[in-house]
Amino acid sequence: MSLDGAPVLDQAVLEELRISTGDDEAFMRELVETYVEEGQASLAVLLAAAAARDAAAIVRPAHTLKSTSASLGAMRLSGICREIETAGREARTDTLPEDVELARATWEATLAAFAEAGLR
Amino acid sequence: MSPGAAVALVVDDSAVNRKVLSRHLASLDIAAREAANGREALELLGADGAGFDIVLLDIEMPELDGYETLAAIKGDAALRHLPVIMISSVEELDSVVRCIEMGATDYLPKPFNPAILEARVRASLAGKHLHDLEVESAARQAELLKTIERQKDELSRFLSPQVAALVSSPEGEQLLAGHRRIATSVFCDLRDFTPFSEAADPEEVLGVLREYHAAMGGLIVEHGGTLEHFAGDGMMVFFNDPVPQEDHVERAVRMAIAMRDRFGDLAAAWAKRGFRLGFGVGIATGYATLGRIGFEGRYDYGMTGMVVITAARLSTAAAPGQILLSPRSHAAVEDVVEVEEIGELQLKGFSHPIAVVNVRGMRERLRTAVEAG
Repeated sequence: MSLDGAPVLDQAVLEELRISTGDDEAFMRELVETYVEEGQASLAVLLAAAAARDAAAIVRPAHTLKSTSASLGAMRLSGICREIETAGREARTDTLPEDVELARATWEATLAAFAEAGLR
Repeated sequence: MSPGAAVALVVDDSAVNRKVLSRHLASLDIAAREAANGREALELLGADGAGFDIVLLDIEMPELDGYETLAAIKGDAALRHLPVIMISSVEELDSVVRCIEMGATDYLPKPFNPAILEARVRASLAGKHLHDLEVESAARQAELLKTIERQKDELSRFLSPQVAALVSSPEGEQLLAGHRRIATSVFCDLRDFTPFSEAADPEEVLGVLREYHAAMGGLIVEHGGTLEHFAGDGMMVFFNDPVPQEDHVERAVRMAIAMRDRFGDLAAAWAKRGFRLGFGVGIATGYATLGRIGFEGRYDYGMTGMVVITAARLSTAAAPGQILLSPRSHAAVEDVVEVEEIGELQLKGFSHPIAVVNVRGMRERLRTAVEAG
Protein backbone atom coordinates (compact mmCIF):
# COMPACT_ATOMS: atom_id res chain seq x y z
CA MET A 1 0.00 0.00 0.00
CA SER A 2 1.47 3.28 -1.04
CA LEU A 3 -0.26 6.33 0.32
CA ASP A 4 2.70 8.51 1.02
CA GLY A 5 1.31 10.98 -1.53
CA ALA A 6 -1.67 11.90 0.66
CA PRO A 7 -0.94 14.44 3.39
CA VAL A 8 -1.27 13.31 7.01
CA LEU A 9 -3.29 16.45 7.68
CA ASP A 10 -4.62 18.39 4.70
CA GLN A 11 -4.62 21.98 5.94
CA ALA A 12 -6.94 23.08 3.11
CA VAL A 13 -9.66 20.59 4.17
CA LEU A 14 -9.23 21.57 7.81
CA GLU A 15 -9.43 25.25 6.92
CA GLU A 16 -12.56 24.76 4.83
CA LEU A 17 -14.19 22.89 7.73
CA ARG A 18 -13.17 25.64 10.13
CA ILE A 19 -14.70 28.37 7.94
CA SER A 20 -17.88 26.46 7.09
CA THR A 21 -18.57 25.75 10.76
CA GLY A 22 -18.33 29.38 11.74
CA ASP A 23 -14.59 29.83 12.40
CA ASP A 24 -15.01 28.73 16.00
CA GLU A 25 -11.79 27.54 17.65
CA ALA A 26 -13.62 25.95 20.58
CA PHE A 27 -15.83 23.98 18.22
CA MET A 28 -12.82 22.77 16.24
CA ARG A 29 -11.05 21.61 19.39
CA GLU A 30 -14.22 19.85 20.58
CA LEU A 31 -14.53 18.18 17.18
CA VAL A 32 -10.93 16.94 17.23
CA GLU A 33 -11.42 15.63 20.76
CA THR A 34 -14.50 13.68 19.65
CA TYR A 35 -12.55 12.42 16.65
CA VAL A 36 -9.73 11.19 18.88
CA GLU A 37 -12.10 9.36 21.22
CA GLU A 38 -13.99 7.74 18.35
CA GLY A 39 -10.78 7.00 16.46
CA GLN A 40 -9.15 5.27 19.41
CA ALA A 41 -12.20 3.04 19.80
CA SER A 42 -12.24 2.23 16.08
CA LEU A 43 -8.52 1.54 16.06
CA ALA A 44 -8.82 -0.84 19.01
CA VAL A 45 -11.48 -2.84 17.16
CA LEU A 46 -9.35 -2.80 14.00
CA LEU A 47 -6.29 -4.16 15.85
CA ALA A 48 -8.32 -6.92 17.52
CA ALA A 49 -10.03 -7.89 14.25
CA ALA A 50 -6.73 -7.95 12.36
CA ALA A 51 -5.14 -10.15 15.03
CA ALA A 52 -8.08 -12.52 14.71
CA ARG A 53 -8.01 -12.27 10.89
CA ASP A 54 -11.74 -11.42 11.12
CA ALA A 55 -12.49 -9.62 7.83
CA ALA A 56 -16.17 -8.99 8.61
CA ALA A 57 -15.39 -7.30 11.93
CA ILE A 58 -13.05 -4.71 10.42
CA VAL A 59 -15.52 -3.24 7.91
CA ARG A 60 -17.46 -0.94 10.23
CA PRO A 61 -14.56 0.56 12.26
CA ALA A 62 -12.56 1.04 9.04
CA HIS A 63 -15.56 2.69 7.39
CA THR A 64 -16.14 5.08 10.33
CA LEU A 65 -12.49 6.04 10.68
CA LYS A 66 -12.22 6.55 6.91
CA SER A 67 -15.18 8.92 6.87
CA THR A 68 -14.38 10.98 9.98
CA SER A 69 -10.71 11.25 9.03
CA ALA A 70 -11.69 12.62 5.63
CA SER A 71 -14.00 15.16 7.28
CA LEU A 72 -11.14 16.53 9.39
CA GLY A 73 -8.52 16.44 6.66
CA ALA A 74 -6.66 13.34 7.92
CA MET A 75 -6.40 12.18 4.31
CA ARG A 76 -3.61 9.63 4.62
CA LEU A 77 -5.38 7.73 7.43
CA SER A 78 -8.66 7.99 5.54
CA GLY A 79 -7.03 6.41 2.47
CA ILE A 80 -5.51 3.55 4.48
CA CYS A 81 -8.85 2.90 6.15
CA ARG A 82 -10.57 2.82 2.75
CA GLU A 83 -8.14 0.08 1.64
CA ILE A 84 -8.80 -1.86 4.84
CA GLU A 85 -12.57 -1.47 4.47
CA THR A 86 -12.40 -2.76 0.88
CA ALA A 87 -10.23 -5.70 1.89
CA GLY A 88 -12.68 -6.49 4.67
CA ARG A 89 -15.67 -6.39 2.31
CA GLU A 90 -13.80 -8.66 -0.11
CA ALA A 91 -12.86 -10.97 2.79
CA ARG A 92 -9.13 -10.58 2.09
CA THR A 93 -7.16 -11.09 5.29
CA ASP A 94 -3.61 -11.66 3.95
CA THR A 95 -2.36 -8.06 4.33
CA LEU A 96 -4.63 -7.10 7.24
CA PRO A 97 -2.02 -7.12 10.04
CA GLU A 98 0.44 -4.86 8.23
CA ASP A 99 -2.34 -2.59 6.89
CA VAL A 100 -3.79 -2.11 10.35
CA GLU A 101 -0.29 -1.58 11.74
CA LEU A 102 0.18 1.14 9.10
CA ALA A 103 -3.15 2.65 10.18
CA ARG A 104 -1.98 2.65 13.80
CA ALA A 105 1.25 4.41 12.95
CA THR A 106 -0.56 6.95 10.75
CA TRP A 107 -3.03 7.50 13.59
CA GLU A 108 -0.12 8.53 15.84
CA ALA A 109 1.20 10.84 13.12
CA THR A 110 -2.28 12.34 12.67
CA LEU A 111 -2.59 13.05 16.41
CA ALA A 112 0.80 14.74 16.31
CA ALA A 113 -0.29 16.84 13.33
CA PHE A 114 -3.46 17.96 15.15
CA ALA A 115 -1.30 18.88 18.18
CA GLU A 116 1.01 20.84 15.89
CA ALA A 117 -2.03 22.63 14.46
CA GLY A 118 -2.91 23.65 18.02
CA LEU A 119 -6.06 21.60 18.11
CA ARG A 120 -5.08 19.18 20.87
CA MET B 1 -43.91 25.50 9.48
CA SER B 2 -41.46 27.78 7.70
CA PRO B 3 -38.12 26.28 6.64
CA GLY B 4 -36.41 28.65 9.08
CA ALA B 5 -37.99 26.95 12.07
CA ALA B 6 -37.33 23.41 10.81
CA VAL B 7 -35.96 20.55 12.89
CA ALA B 8 -33.72 17.86 11.43
CA LEU B 9 -32.94 14.42 12.78
CA VAL B 10 -29.29 13.59 12.15
CA VAL B 11 -28.67 9.84 12.21
CA ASP B 12 -25.02 8.77 12.05
CA ASP B 13 -22.96 6.40 14.18
CA SER B 14 -20.03 8.82 14.10
CA ALA B 15 -20.22 11.60 16.67
CA VAL B 16 -17.80 13.62 14.52
CA ASN B 17 -20.15 13.46 11.54
CA ARG B 18 -23.17 14.29 13.72
CA LYS B 19 -21.38 17.32 15.21
CA VAL B 20 -20.29 18.64 11.81
CA LEU B 21 -23.75 18.16 10.29
CA SER B 22 -25.57 19.72 13.26
CA ARG B 23 -23.22 22.67 13.07
CA HIS B 24 -23.87 23.16 9.35
CA LEU B 25 -27.60 22.88 9.91
CA ALA B 26 -27.48 25.42 12.74
CA SER B 27 -25.93 27.91 10.33
CA LEU B 28 -29.02 27.37 8.12
CA ASP B 29 -31.31 28.05 11.12
CA ILE B 30 -32.26 24.39 11.24
CA ALA B 31 -32.25 22.81 14.67
CA ALA B 32 -30.76 19.31 14.83
CA ARG B 33 -31.42 16.35 17.09
CA GLU B 34 -29.03 13.42 16.93
CA ALA B 35 -29.30 9.65 16.88
CA ALA B 36 -26.34 7.23 16.77
CA ASN B 37 -28.23 4.50 14.88
CA GLY B 38 -31.54 3.61 13.26
CA ARG B 39 -33.10 2.25 16.41
CA GLU B 40 -32.47 5.50 18.30
CA ALA B 41 -33.76 7.44 15.30
CA LEU B 42 -37.07 5.53 15.18
CA GLU B 43 -37.45 6.02 18.93
CA LEU B 44 -37.03 9.78 18.55
CA LEU B 45 -39.43 9.92 15.59
CA GLY B 46 -42.11 8.22 17.66
CA ALA B 47 -45.45 7.25 16.19
CA ASP B 48 -45.85 10.13 13.76
CA GLY B 49 -42.53 11.96 13.48
CA ALA B 50 -44.08 15.02 15.14
CA GLY B 51 -41.52 17.75 15.70
CA PHE B 52 -39.28 16.69 12.80
CA ASP B 53 -39.18 18.03 9.27
CA ILE B 54 -36.35 16.09 7.71
CA VAL B 55 -34.10 13.08 8.39
CA LEU B 56 -30.41 12.94 7.45
CA LEU B 57 -29.58 9.25 7.44
CA ASP B 58 -26.22 7.48 7.33
CA ILE B 59 -26.12 4.09 5.60
CA GLU B 60 -23.48 2.11 7.54
CA MET B 61 -24.58 1.93 11.16
CA PRO B 62 -24.69 -0.67 13.94
CA GLU B 63 -27.96 -2.07 15.35
CA LEU B 64 -30.29 -0.74 12.63
CA ASP B 65 -28.59 0.45 9.46
CA GLY B 66 -29.69 3.08 6.96
CA TYR B 67 -31.58 0.68 4.68
CA GLU B 68 -33.59 -0.83 7.53
CA THR B 69 -34.32 2.59 9.00
CA LEU B 70 -35.37 3.99 5.63
CA ALA B 71 -37.62 0.97 5.03
CA ALA B 72 -39.21 1.47 8.46
CA ILE B 73 -39.87 5.17 7.80
CA LYS B 74 -41.22 4.72 4.28
CA GLY B 75 -43.27 1.68 5.28
CA ASP B 76 -45.09 3.61 7.99
CA ALA B 77 -48.03 5.70 6.77
CA ALA B 78 -47.55 8.15 9.65
CA LEU B 79 -43.82 8.73 8.93
CA ARG B 80 -43.75 8.36 5.14
CA HIS B 81 -44.17 12.11 4.54
CA LEU B 82 -40.79 12.92 6.16
CA PRO B 83 -38.09 13.63 3.59
CA VAL B 84 -35.02 11.44 4.10
CA ILE B 85 -31.62 12.50 2.77
CA MET B 86 -29.03 9.73 2.72
CA ILE B 87 -25.53 10.53 3.94
CA SER B 88 -23.02 8.63 1.86
CA SER B 89 -19.39 8.47 0.93
CA VAL B 90 -18.40 8.55 -2.71
CA GLU B 91 -17.91 4.77 -2.82
CA GLU B 92 -21.48 4.22 -1.70
CA LEU B 93 -23.20 5.68 -4.78
CA ASP B 94 -24.68 2.29 -5.72
CA SER B 95 -26.25 2.15 -2.28
CA VAL B 96 -27.64 5.65 -2.76
CA VAL B 97 -29.46 4.58 -5.93
CA ARG B 98 -31.02 1.73 -3.98
CA CYS B 99 -32.07 4.15 -1.20
CA ILE B 100 -33.66 6.57 -3.64
CA GLU B 101 -35.60 3.67 -5.15
CA MET B 102 -36.74 2.88 -1.61
CA GLY B 103 -38.11 6.40 -1.16
CA ALA B 104 -35.16 8.54 -0.04
CA THR B 105 -35.49 12.10 -1.31
CA ASP B 106 -31.84 12.80 -2.04
CA TYR B 107 -28.30 12.12 -0.86
CA LEU B 108 -25.46 14.05 0.67
CA PRO B 109 -21.87 13.09 -0.10
CA LYS B 110 -19.26 12.91 2.67
CA PRO B 111 -17.22 14.93 3.47
CA PHE B 112 -19.99 17.45 3.69
CA ASN B 113 -20.01 20.40 1.34
CA PRO B 114 -22.02 23.18 3.00
CA ALA B 115 -23.38 24.54 -0.31
CA ILE B 116 -24.65 21.12 -1.43
CA LEU B 117 -26.00 20.45 2.05
CA GLU B 118 -27.95 23.71 2.01
CA ALA B 119 -29.37 23.20 -1.49
CA ARG B 120 -30.53 19.62 -0.84
CA VAL B 121 -31.90 20.25 2.64
CA ARG B 122 -33.79 23.37 1.50
CA ALA B 123 -35.30 21.58 -1.50
CA SER B 124 -36.46 18.70 0.69
CA LEU B 125 -37.85 21.04 3.32
CA ALA B 126 -39.79 22.94 0.66
CA GLY B 127 -41.39 19.64 -0.35
CA LYS B 128 -42.17 18.85 3.27
CA HIS B 129 -43.58 22.35 3.80
CA LEU B 130 -45.90 21.89 0.81
CA HIS B 131 -47.00 18.54 2.17
CA ASP B 132 -47.66 20.10 5.60
CA LEU B 133 -49.74 22.84 3.99
CA GLU B 134 -51.77 20.25 2.11
CA VAL B 135 -52.36 18.25 5.27
CA GLU B 136 -53.24 21.40 7.21
CA SER B 137 -55.62 22.57 4.50
CA ALA B 138 -57.28 19.16 4.31
CA ALA B 139 -57.67 19.13 8.09
CA ARG B 140 -59.12 22.63 8.07
CA GLN B 141 -61.55 21.65 5.33
CA ALA B 142 -62.61 18.55 7.23
CA GLU B 143 -63.11 20.67 10.35
CA LEU B 144 -65.21 23.13 8.37
CA LEU B 145 -67.35 20.36 6.91
CA LYS B 146 -67.81 18.92 10.39
CA THR B 147 -68.91 22.33 11.67
CA ILE B 148 -71.37 22.74 8.82
CA GLU B 149 -72.75 19.24 9.43
CA ARG B 150 -73.03 19.97 13.14
CA GLN B 151 -74.80 23.27 12.47
CA LYS B 152 -77.18 21.58 10.06
CA ASP B 153 -77.86 18.94 12.66
CA GLU B 154 -78.36 21.58 15.34
CA LEU B 155 -80.59 23.56 12.96
CA SER B 156 -82.71 20.55 12.12
CA ARG B 157 -83.72 20.25 15.76
CA PHE B 158 -85.31 23.67 15.59
CA LEU B 159 -86.46 23.70 12.00
CA SER B 160 -88.19 21.10 9.94
CA PRO B 161 -85.65 18.92 8.07
CA GLN B 162 -86.71 20.41 4.71
CA VAL B 163 -86.08 23.96 5.87
CA ALA B 164 -82.77 23.03 7.48
CA ALA B 165 -81.67 21.43 4.21
CA LEU B 166 -82.91 24.42 2.26
CA VAL B 167 -80.96 26.90 4.35
CA SER B 168 -77.71 25.13 3.53
CA SER B 169 -78.49 24.48 -0.16
CA PRO B 170 -77.14 26.64 -3.03
CA GLU B 171 -80.64 27.74 -4.12
CA GLY B 172 -81.58 28.44 -0.50
CA GLU B 173 -81.18 32.20 -0.63
CA GLN B 174 -83.46 32.47 -3.65
CA LEU B 175 -86.19 30.35 -2.08
CA LEU B 176 -85.89 32.15 1.25
CA ALA B 177 -86.32 35.50 -0.47
CA GLY B 178 -89.98 34.60 -1.17
CA HIS B 179 -91.88 32.97 -4.00
CA ARG B 180 -95.42 32.06 -5.00
CA ARG B 181 -96.50 28.53 -5.55
CA ILE B 182 -99.52 26.26 -5.21
CA ALA B 183 -99.26 24.53 -1.86
CA THR B 184 -101.39 22.60 0.59
CA SER B 185 -101.78 23.86 4.11
CA VAL B 186 -102.75 21.62 7.00
CA PHE B 187 -103.92 22.92 10.39
CA CYS B 188 -104.64 20.61 13.25
CA ASP B 189 -105.28 21.01 16.93
CA LEU B 190 -106.80 19.34 19.94
CA ARG B 191 -110.45 19.77 20.82
CA ASP B 192 -111.16 20.67 24.47
CA PHE B 193 -107.50 21.38 25.10
CA THR B 194 -108.18 24.69 26.85
CA PRO B 195 -110.50 23.24 29.53
CA PHE B 196 -108.08 20.30 29.94
CA SER B 197 -105.10 22.58 30.46
CA GLU B 198 -107.04 24.60 33.03
CA ALA B 199 -108.07 21.52 34.98
CA ALA B 200 -104.94 19.36 34.79
CA ASP B 201 -101.58 19.86 36.49
CA PRO B 202 -99.04 21.73 34.35
CA GLU B 203 -96.80 18.63 34.38
CA GLU B 204 -99.65 16.55 32.97
CA VAL B 205 -100.39 19.15 30.32
CA LEU B 206 -96.76 19.20 29.24
CA GLY B 207 -96.61 15.39 29.31
CA VAL B 208 -99.66 15.13 27.04
CA LEU B 209 -98.25 17.74 24.66
CA ARG B 210 -94.89 15.97 24.54
CA GLU B 211 -96.50 12.63 23.62
CA TYR B 212 -98.71 14.35 21.07
CA HIS B 213 -95.85 16.29 19.46
CA ALA B 214 -93.60 13.22 19.36
CA ALA B 215 -96.30 11.14 17.66
CA MET B 216 -97.36 13.83 15.19
CA GLY B 217 -93.84 15.05 14.49
CA GLY B 218 -92.85 11.59 13.30
CA LEU B 219 -95.82 11.46 10.93
CA ILE B 220 -95.04 14.91 9.50
CA VAL B 221 -91.50 13.83 8.63
CA GLU B 222 -92.73 10.48 7.30
CA HIS B 223 -95.11 12.17 4.87
CA GLY B 224 -92.65 14.85 3.79
CA GLY B 225 -94.54 17.76 5.31
CA THR B 226 -92.86 21.04 6.24
CA LEU B 227 -93.71 21.98 9.80
CA GLU B 228 -94.20 25.71 9.96
CA HIS B 229 -94.89 25.95 13.65
CA PHE B 230 -96.20 24.43 16.83
CA ALA B 231 -98.35 26.59 19.04
CA GLY B 232 -99.34 24.63 22.10
CA ASP B 233 -101.76 22.03 20.80
CA GLY B 234 -101.90 23.52 17.30
CA MET B 235 -99.65 22.74 14.36
CA MET B 236 -99.37 24.08 10.88
CA VAL B 237 -97.81 21.89 8.23
CA PHE B 238 -97.54 22.57 4.53
CA PHE B 239 -96.72 20.51 1.47
CA ASN B 240 -95.15 21.15 -1.95
CA ASP B 241 -92.59 23.57 -0.55
CA PRO B 242 -89.62 24.00 -0.29
CA VAL B 243 -89.41 20.55 -1.87
CA PRO B 244 -91.86 20.27 -4.80
CA GLN B 245 -94.26 17.34 -4.39
CA GLU B 246 -96.58 16.43 -7.29
CA ASP B 247 -98.93 14.58 -4.90
CA HIS B 248 -98.92 17.26 -2.20
CA VAL B 249 -102.66 17.15 -1.52
CA GLU B 250 -102.70 13.36 -1.24
CA ARG B 251 -99.68 13.46 1.06
CA ALA B 252 -101.48 15.99 3.26
CA VAL B 253 -104.61 13.85 3.43
CA ARG B 254 -102.67 10.66 4.11
CA MET B 255 -100.76 12.41 6.89
CA ALA B 256 -104.00 13.72 8.41
CA ILE B 257 -105.52 10.21 8.38
CA ALA B 258 -102.39 8.75 9.97
CA MET B 259 -102.50 11.50 12.60
CA ARG B 260 -106.15 10.80 13.33
CA ASP B 261 -105.42 7.06 13.72
CA ARG B 262 -102.42 7.72 15.91
CA PHE B 263 -104.39 10.21 17.93
CA GLY B 264 -107.02 7.48 18.55
CA ASP B 265 -104.37 5.38 20.33
CA LEU B 266 -103.11 8.33 22.36
CA ALA B 267 -106.64 9.43 23.28
CA ALA B 268 -107.55 5.94 24.49
CA ALA B 269 -104.54 5.97 26.84
CA TRP B 270 -105.32 9.52 28.01
CA ALA B 271 -108.98 8.63 28.58
CA LYS B 272 -107.87 6.03 31.13
CA ARG B 273 -106.15 8.86 33.01
CA GLY B 274 -109.36 10.89 32.79
CA PHE B 275 -108.37 13.27 30.01
CA ARG B 276 -110.91 13.70 27.24
CA LEU B 277 -109.43 15.28 24.17
CA GLY B 278 -110.42 15.37 20.51
CA PHE B 279 -108.48 16.02 17.31
CA GLY B 280 -109.54 18.03 14.26
CA VAL B 281 -107.87 18.90 10.98
CA GLY B 282 -108.45 21.46 8.22
CA ILE B 283 -106.78 21.16 4.80
CA ALA B 284 -106.78 23.72 1.98
CA THR B 285 -104.91 24.00 -1.32
CA GLY B 286 -104.13 27.08 -3.38
CA TYR B 287 -101.57 29.74 -4.27
CA ALA B 288 -99.55 31.02 -1.38
CA THR B 289 -96.49 33.12 -0.72
CA LEU B 290 -93.64 31.20 0.88
CA GLY B 291 -90.29 32.28 2.22
CA ARG B 292 -88.58 34.04 5.05
CA ILE B 293 -90.94 35.74 7.48
CA GLY B 294 -89.84 37.60 10.57
CA PHE B 295 -87.19 40.08 11.55
CA GLU B 296 -83.42 40.20 11.99
CA GLY B 297 -82.50 37.67 14.65
CA ARG B 298 -85.64 35.60 14.43
CA TYR B 299 -86.87 34.35 11.09
CA ASP B 300 -89.26 31.56 10.23
CA TYR B 301 -89.77 29.88 6.94
CA GLY B 302 -93.45 30.50 6.49
CA MET B 303 -96.48 30.39 4.24
CA THR B 304 -99.08 33.13 3.93
CA GLY B 305 -102.22 33.64 1.87
CA MET B 306 -105.93 32.87 1.81
CA VAL B 307 -105.15 29.17 1.63
CA VAL B 308 -103.58 29.31 5.10
CA ILE B 309 -106.56 31.15 6.56
CA THR B 310 -108.94 28.67 4.93
CA ALA B 311 -107.12 25.69 6.44
CA ALA B 312 -107.11 27.37 9.87
CA ARG B 313 -110.84 28.11 9.72
CA LEU B 314 -111.60 24.55 8.57
CA SER B 315 -109.60 23.18 11.47
CA THR B 316 -111.62 25.33 13.86
CA ALA B 317 -114.85 24.16 12.25
CA ALA B 318 -113.89 20.48 12.42
CA ALA B 319 -115.64 18.33 15.02
CA PRO B 320 -113.46 15.85 16.96
CA GLY B 321 -112.17 13.22 14.53
CA GLN B 322 -112.95 15.24 11.40
CA ILE B 323 -110.56 16.08 8.56
CA LEU B 324 -112.17 18.87 6.55
CA LEU B 325 -111.07 19.59 2.98
CA SER B 326 -111.49 22.78 0.96
CA PRO B 327 -113.09 22.31 -2.49
CA ARG B 328 -109.76 22.55 -4.27
CA SER B 329 -108.10 19.99 -1.98
CA HIS B 330 -111.06 17.68 -2.44
CA ALA B 331 -110.94 17.97 -6.23
CA ALA B 332 -107.28 16.93 -6.25
CA VAL B 333 -107.82 13.70 -4.34
CA GLU B 334 -111.43 12.71 -5.07
CA ASP B 335 -110.34 9.58 -6.95
CA VAL B 336 -108.39 8.18 -4.03
CA VAL B 337 -110.18 9.49 -0.97
CA GLU B 338 -113.57 8.49 0.41
CA VAL B 339 -115.42 11.52 1.83
CA GLU B 340 -118.74 12.53 3.30
CA GLU B 341 -120.45 15.79 2.35
CA ILE B 342 -120.57 18.35 5.12
CA GLY B 343 -122.30 20.97 2.97
CA GLU B 344 -121.65 24.64 2.59
CA LEU B 345 -119.91 26.25 5.53
CA GLN B 346 -119.81 29.97 6.17
CA LEU B 347 -116.27 30.44 7.54
CA LYS B 348 -115.45 33.47 9.64
CA GLY B 349 -114.23 36.38 7.53
CA PHE B 350 -115.22 34.79 4.19
CA SER B 351 -117.83 36.51 2.00
CA HIS B 352 -119.20 33.27 0.50
CA PRO B 353 -119.82 29.89 2.03
CA ILE B 354 -117.64 27.05 0.71
CA ALA B 355 -118.45 23.39 0.06
CA VAL B 356 -116.64 21.26 2.58
CA VAL B 357 -116.13 17.47 2.85
CA ASN B 358 -114.89 15.29 5.68
CA VAL B 359 -112.36 12.56 4.92
CA ARG B 360 -113.45 9.06 5.89
CA GLY B 361 -110.32 7.38 4.65
CA MET B 362 -108.23 6.35 1.68
CA ARG B 363 -110.28 4.33 -0.85
CA GLU B 364 -107.86 1.38 -1.02
CA ARG B 365 -107.71 1.05 2.75
CA LEU B 366 -111.48 1.21 3.14
CA ARG B 367 -111.93 -1.42 0.42
CA THR B 368 -109.40 -3.71 2.10
CA ALA B 369 -111.20 -3.23 5.41
CA VAL B 370 -114.60 -4.09 3.84
CA GLU B 371 -113.19 -7.16 2.06
CA ALA B 372 -111.59 -8.32 5.29
CA GLY B 373 -115.10 -8.17 6.74
